[in-house]
Amino acid sequence: MWSYILRRTVAGLVVLLVVTFVVFILVVLSGNPLATMMANPKISPATIRAAREALHLNQPLLERYWNWLWGLLHGSFGTSFSGQPVGSQLGHALLVSLRLAIPVVILSVILAVVLGVVGAVRQYHAVDYVSTGMSYIFFATPVFVLALLLKDFLAVDINQWAGHTILYTVGPESPGFTGNWWQTFVNSTQHIVLPVVTLVLVTYASWSRFQRASLLDVLNADYIRLARAKGLSPRRVLYVHALRNALIPVTTVVALDFAGLLGGVIITEIVYSWSGMGTLFYNALAGGSGISPDVYIVQGWLIVAAGAVIAFNIVADVMYAFLDPRIRYA
Amino acid sequence: MGVRVSLARSYSRRRRWYLAVALSAVALVVAACSSSSTSSTPTSSNTASTSSVKTGGQAVFALDEDVAGFNPLQYSDNEYVLGEIDNEVYPSAYIVNPNFTISMDSNIFTSITQTSSSPQTIVYQINPKAVWSDGVPITAADLIYNWQAQSGISKYKDVGNAAYLPASTAGYDQIKSVTSSNNGKTATVVFGTPFPDWQSLFSPFIPAHIAEKVGFNNGFQNYGSSVAVSGGPYMIQSYSKNVSLIEVRNPKWWGTPGNLNKIIFDFILDDSQGPPAMANGEVNMVNPALGSLTELDSLKAIPNVTTSITPGLEFQHIDFNEANPYLALASVRHAIAYGTNRQQMIQRLVDPLTSKIGLLGNRIYMPVQPQYQDTSNGYGAFSTSQAESELKSAGMTMGSDGYFHPNFGPEKGQDFTLTISTTSGVEERQELEELFQADMKAIGVKINIVNYPANTLFGTIGPKSEFDIIEFAWVQSPFATGVDSIYCSYTNTADCGENWDHYADPAVDKLLTEASSTTNTATEAADFNAADALMWKDMATLPLFEEPTMFGWSSNYGNVIPNASSEGFTWNAQEWGEKV
Repeated sequence: MWSYILRRTVAGLVVLLVVTFVVFILVVLSGNPLATMMANPKISPATIRAAREALHLNQPLLERYWNWLWGLLHGSFGTSFSGQPVGSQLGHALLVSLRLAIPVVILSVILAVVLGVVGAVRQYHAVDYVSTGMSYIFFATPVFVLALLLKDFLAVDINQWAGHTILYTVGPESPGFTGNWWQTFVNSTQHIVLPVVTLVLVTYASWSRFQRASLLDVLNADYIRLARAKGLSPRRVLYVHALRNALIPVTTVVALDFAGLLGGVIITEIVYSWSGMGTLFYNALAGGSGISPDVYIVQGWLIVAAGAVIAFNIVADVMYAFLDPRIRYA
Repeated sequence: MGVRVSLARSYSRRRRWYLAVALSAVALVVAACSSSSTSSTPTSSNTASTSSVKTGGQAVFALDEDVAGFNPLQYSDNEYVLGEIDNEVYPSAYIVNPNFTISMDSNIFTSITQTSSSPQTIVYQINPKAVWSDGVPITAADLIYNWQAQSGISKYKDVGNAAYLPASTAGYDQIKSVTSSNNGKTATVVFGTPFPDWQSLFSPFIPAHIAEKVGFNNGFQNYGSSVAVSGGPYMIQSYSKNVSLIEVRNPKWWGTPGNLNKIIFDFILDDSQGPPAMANGEVNMVNPALGSLTELDSLKAIPNVTTSITPGLEFQHIDFNEANPYLALASVRHAIAYGTNRQQMIQRLVDPLTSKIGLLGNRIYMPVQPQYQDTSNGYGAFSTSQAESELKSAGMTMGSDGYFHPNFGPEKGQDFTLTISTTSGVEERQELEELFQADMKAIGVKINIVNYPANTLFGTIGPKSEFDIIEFAWVQSPFATGVDSIYCSYTNTADCGENWDHYADPAVDKLLTEASSTTNTATEAADFNAADALMWKDMATLPLFEEPTMFGWSSNYGNVIPNASSEGFTWNAQEWGEKV
């Protein structure tokens, strides 16, 4: 197992190296970052020249790539156009995204597995139809619609009914909030409820369908039929023999979606003003201060996102071995 | 002038290229009445109290983007949102009032006087009480440093012997010297060449004793002790990236203290999320970059919220590329202008928000400015018959398909076709182009719409003149100097680099030069208006309409007065307070 993990990790690093070059070229091809600054009549050519030099845009392409890669290999993602280290910005954004992604994944997995199992075991019963219907509704509803509905019709109404703010709609914490650890925890929870609920509803919907379909497949397998024939209780058949195998496809989906949650919840972040990885990427693309895109942030973000996908793929493969004893990696 | 700013970018990025001073009717009258060697100055800063407010409490203001850094004079930090934050932090020589008049900030200066016009000499008398929040007096040394950093003179260097990277050198590059006297409380500025918009200078200015240590270019990039130093009624207490920034009263402020204990800037990146946050009581004030009808309706639906839509200094316009053999003809440009129903554009795009916007008759001054004159002289009035007549006089014949066919050039015998380009992904601009396309079809001109990302439009398409017609917004400066680079003859590549349209008129060049080098503000305005009248005759560009600015605030707060100039919403934040 360990040799397998090692081999996969090395292969992943090779892929990541190729990705750095592809990312770099794609960002270069996306346009001149100094275009808007150059369009400003009040900025002198000397300033533009100095900005170009300060940001290494005057270097040949390959030299610039190599310098950036060398910095990456030494743990530096470079400096953004605002002069701030890209690494610290990525780190901060990643922490914000993890604050959302971890509870979303945990809650979504629990909800998806429970409802998926119920749907499969009670196939074509009322509870299955209701569960299926709800899944399709949430799956089909765009995230921003769901977020706005929860914001406008849940949070505002609840707060108005209560006479004070219970559910917050902006940011991960109240600006300038001070209090003891419990008060801080409560305040954070009040801020995190809405974005987590939004993402859980959207996420569990597809996962529960995977779970249901996967369990139905397994429940119709010969070895399950044998287990029933041997006189095992339905509960034992389901939880000991069927469910573990049925979790394998869902594991793949969860692993990939977790990487996506880290970098791709831009809409939820914008609606709730959480400055995570999605917002960082969006702002870097939009640029600012006459500089667009903020190439070092974009490049760093893409590398982190690619790394997350590679890493969670490895995690998924490892999970297979634990779930299915038949899978053993050489 | 302003910068070409895509509307898409203005959703999340507003630039404050110009410094915070406008030429006022008062100043014009004052200047006109004065001799050429002296001029009196506008009086004290505006106090615009409207209601009784109590001391204490806080206000939360939604900002649609985070700051890139904290030096408003540095090229990468100079953004509108930073201006709204540092209105109450960094001192300015002049303040732009909501009615676009200017006032000297008498908390900082006791007088600012032009004592000579040849050479042009301005004397700044600094308030003896003026002091930075760390106890260091505000002196002429601050003005000297701020001049040197923005002069563009290579001998002046930042820390590490690096070249300064200012957002603009306009005006500062015309100063010959800044000297100190009277124990540093008098600064004398002598210009090498006259600069009519001298009131735009030193608005704001940063602490020299801090910048000299930490560096102008990079010393204010991150929040820290350097950023915490203030010369205004408030100072930055804390900053959490992409979350919030908090200002508290400056204990060393020598003027009337602010009413609020705290002003909190909450970074809500999507303007459309401002109204729900207001409804939830999480923010008290919003000023979206581009107000939409949806946002306006959302704000109006919230109880106890006041809204205001105010015309500002931003305007939409279209440019004609005269390198195109057809657009090289004035008659064709006039035809397009006559065929464009600008009133309908206003009705469709602006009237839902405000009825205060009318047809725009000037491309240098906006109707909100006292210098504004409608210099169009009938050019650009909507007339399809006139448009068709112009096209015929240009040598085109109406085809059986309803489109004109040129008798010359690359489209000889074919449908006369042009492309219009703007930034992609902006709903309002898309609608504007569609209205334009329909107008042109009615006069027999085929229009193809080809849009680009802002980066491409302003980085390649525009500068390389790879367009026929281009549409975007200018964020106008209260000061007209600076428009030269856009409208002076394109053959002068050194000074007219922003003329993407291959436009050239020596008579306009002469007037622009005269306007930018006179110290008489009335002459300046007259020259610029005369230049604009010529540009209407040439139909260099077609101004479309002003963009309105939207403000919304909780009615629990008093003394909140929207300001659509570069000052922004927080121009008088020290006067805000919770109503009694």
